[in-house]
Amino acid sequence: MDEKELIKKAQNGDRKALAELVRKYEQTIYNFSFKICRDKEKAEHAMQETFMSMIKNIGQFSGKSKLSTWLYTIVSNHCLMMARASKNKTFASLDDEDALIDEKNIAEWKITPQNIAENNELKNLLDKAIDKLPYDYRIVFLLRDVEGLSTAETGQIVKLSVPAVKSRLHRARAFLRNELNKMFLQ
Amino acid sequence: MKEEKVSCKEVMHHICDNLGEDLDSPKCRAIKEHLDNCENCQKYFDSVEKTIKFYQMYNVELKEEAHKRLLDYLGLE
Repeated sequence: MDEKELIKKAQNGDRKALAELVRKYEQTIYNFSFKICRDKEKAEHAMQETFMSMIKNIGQFSGKSKLSTWLYTIVSNHCLMMARASKNKTFASLDDEDALIDEKNIAEWKITPQNIAENNELKNLLDKAIDKLPYDYRIVFLLRDVEGLSTAETGQIVKLSVPAVKSRLHRARAFLRNELNKMFLQ
Repeated sequence: MKEEKVSCKEVMHHICDNLGEDLDSPKCRAIKEHLDNCENCQKYFDSVEKTIKFYQMYNVELKEEAHKRLLDYLGLE
C-alpha cells in the first residue's frame, strides 16, 4: 500500500494504518531525535511525543508537504521544548562570522570517517562538539547536511528563509569543524 | 549515503550561488583561481566535508524494546 493510501486510512481512524506509518518512520525519527538531543532516553521520549502528536493531528495533515517533513517539524519542536526546559545550559555564540573561520589552524585531518560505529572515542568528541552548538543552528545543520533535506524544506521546518538557512548552515559547519579541529590537534 | 562525483564547475556554481554571484563574475573567477592554488583552502574544505560525514555516519538503532514501548505508549498494540 502506498503512503497516500495509508494516510487516508489513518485519517479515517484505521489503527493498523497508523501502526504501519509509525513503523515506517520510527527509526528515522528516533535517529534524528538522538542527533539533536545526544541522549537515548530523551530521544525516545521525543520520538514517543512526536508519534502521539501525529496520531492526534493526522486529520489535519493536508498532504501538501511530505509526511516526513511534517514529522521532522514535530520532532524538532519537541526537542526544542525539552531543551528550553533545561535552562542551565549555555551555548557558544555564533554571531561573529569572521571569527568562525580560523585561518591560523588549518591542518590536514588524518582521521577518516570509517568504522565510526566502533569508535567510541570519536563519538564522544562528536557529542562534545555538537553539544556546544545552539539548538537553532544544530537543527538546521542536521536537517540539511545530515538528513539531506533541501534548503527549502529545511527552511519550511524551522520557519526561516532560504538565505537565513544558508547563513545558519555555514556558521554551524564552521563551528563544528573548528571544535573538532581543536580536539584532533590536541 | 552514496558518494556523488561532482565537477569543479558544479562546486564553483555552488559557491558562487551561495555568494549570489554569477559564475563568470570577477569575484567568482578570483575565487576559482585562489582555490586551485591554495593548499590551506583545500585542507579546510576537506575538514568541513569530513565533519559532515562524521555526523552522517554516527547513527543509533531503535531497539526492539523501545519499539514495543512506543506502540504501547500510543495504544497501537
